[in-house]
Amino acid sequence: MTAPGERVDNSPGDLPTGSLGVLPNNLSNNPPAKPPAKPPAKPANNPPTKPSGFRQFCVLFNRDIKQELRTRQMLSSMGIYALLVLVVFGAAFAHTGPVATSGVAAVLPAGTPASPPTSPGISLISISGGLMWAMIVFTSLLGLARSFKAEKEADGWEGVLLVPLDRSLIFLAKACANLVFLLVVEAVTIPLFYVFFLSGLELAASFWLVAGPLLVGSAGIAGVGTLLATLTSGTRGTDVLLAILFVPVIFPLLYTVVAATTAALVGSPDMALDYARPMVLAAAYDLIMLPVCWLLYDFIVST
Amino acid sequence: MCEEAVKDKKTTERDDKAVVEGAATALADRMLLPLLVAGALLASLGFVLAFTTAPLVVGAEADVPALIGGQMVTHKLLLSQKIFFFHVPVAVVSFIGLFVMALYGLRFLRQRDQIYDLKAMVAAEIALLFIVMTMLSGELWERFEWGVWWTWEPRLTTYLILMLLVIAYFILRAGIDDPERRAVFASAFGAIAFVDGLISLAVTRLIPAGAHPVVFRTDSGLPPAMLVPFILTLLGMLLVAFGLYRFRLRERRLHQQLDELKASYENQKGMH
Amino acid sequence: MDSILAEIYSTVLPAAPYVIAAYALIWLVLLAYVAVVISNLKKTEREMAALREELQRQQKD
Repeated sequence: MTAPGERVDNSPGDLPTGSLGVLPNNLSNNPPAKPPAKPPAKPANNPPTKPSGFRQFCVLFNRDIKQELRTRQMLSSMGIYALLVLVVFGAAFAHTGPVATSGVAAVLPAGTPASPPTSPGISLISISGGLMWAMIVFTSLLGLARSFKAEKEADGWEGVLLVPLDRSLIFLAKACANLVFLLVVEAVTIPLFYVFFLSGLELAASFWLVAGPLLVGSAGIAGVGTLLATLTSGTRGTDVLLAILFVPVIFPLLYTVVAATTAALVGSPDMALDYARPMVLAAAYDLIMLPVCWLLYDFIVST
Repeated sequence: MCEEAVKDKKTTERDDKAVVEGAATALADRMLLPLLVAGALLASLGFVLAFTTAPLVVGAEADVPALIGGQMVTHKLLLSQKIFFFHVPVAVVSFIGLFVMALYGLRFLRQRDQIYDLKAMVAAEIALLFIVMTMLSGELWERFEWGVWWTWEPRLTTYLILMLLVIAYFILRAGIDDPERRAVFASAFGAIAFVDGLISLAVTRLIPAGAHPVVFRTDSGLPPAMLVPFILTLLGMLLVAFGLYRFRLRERRLHQQLDELKASYENQKGMH
Repeated sequence: MDSILAEIYSTVLPAAPYVIAAYALIWLVLLAYVAVVISNLKKTEREMAALREELQRQQKD
């Protein structure tokens, strides 16, 4: 089987010669008297070349994005799921107010000033970094699982595999597309998170530094998640298998990124230690794991 | 055809390699029992030395200093630190097991010989075994030192993640029926798991968890009296691990051969 | 022992059960694994013997 870019050349020199090394005359394609003829259809100077890697990447990437934009299925389900996670968190922290001995939230007497009646009694700011990332991890688990399901169902996957290109490019395109989706969902849900849990709390001046861990963490989640989602989509397992594989693998990244986010939100006297060091480690995770995933993807998809 | 000649050459090369490997395998299997016994003995020797010759490590400060054996002792002496002598060697062996698993996984990806996948799986089993041992001893050490059943301190957290990674490896294997595909996927995940384990190890130690300070009493270098039992136990455990690995490998290969025989028997029966 | 020494060694006895338990558990896990492998081996050998018998019976027919 020849790839689209290869030339097909029928001159006798290319015929399989077998163990004899020489073709008997009456078996060659061309009768001995005729000089070897070149196939007339061959283009003269420029055989069709494979499109460059970057072009291929763009095509795949655009394809993924367009597919999602058409149905908006993944984005909307991710967004709604994030919202639901926030609601669960809300229930989790609803009763952190002043509690009477009977266990029911105390009813404050009429004249008490202070915080609005239903705000959490404890300051959530120290755990807010962790909560945020918990939401992101759960949401991305859902999104990653679905991103492959839809494609497999439509049989578009087989078509992509037939194209003779560097399989790792598929990984890059898919991972970037997933990253974009994740960032879009984050752009909507993080402000929501702020509204639900952080408004009224004193955020440190460095809160904008949260963008750093968000970017680095999302990149890692998208890359590793894409590989693992491809892995599990070919197995008998359910979405749970993806979670089983995903959570331990993403744990180091999660650990560093939560540390950095908390440092950014809470503010700390020693930002170099509390923010820069986790950021460096998170970046190291990305720099190590993403190339590993890139290299392994070819093997996984080719099976 | 030329291709057949090439194939024949490759087969004879593989046969030669198989003969050499077969000899090595036979040797390793013959030495199985002595290996295991030697390993157990070494580990026990290390254990005994750990208790007799290694000096007790200092803990909290005692109220009044005392003179013991000609030396001024100002702190309480800890026995619980002795767990270190079998906790750490076991942890080291588990990491080696993980490394072997990842290595054989990569070899499979390159050479596509199912034996490497089998070896990777057995290595993963051994690694899991030693991870469990690490966690049990670490758990007991933790319980005594800090009085709690769990903290998110570097050692325990890293090992929890490692344990989850290896368990995930086995669950992944269980979810795929086609042997070729199972081997490829398992090899890929094995490589990822190993790299991830290393990163976990580094990350949990470089970022303080905050809740409980980790006191690594032994990070100031080991005096030789402590080093000897440690090395002995480490070597002993390594030998035990290797022995168990070959034992399990032999059992799995036998099982595989049995399955193949069963399959061909069924085929023959079907043909009659 | 006089009271000072008693205090210095005060954590030894309470720690002993944990240390012993750690050691015992480690070896227990190893032995459990060996037991599992041996039982698997025996099962495989039994099945092989059965298969061999079947083959011999078939060849006789």
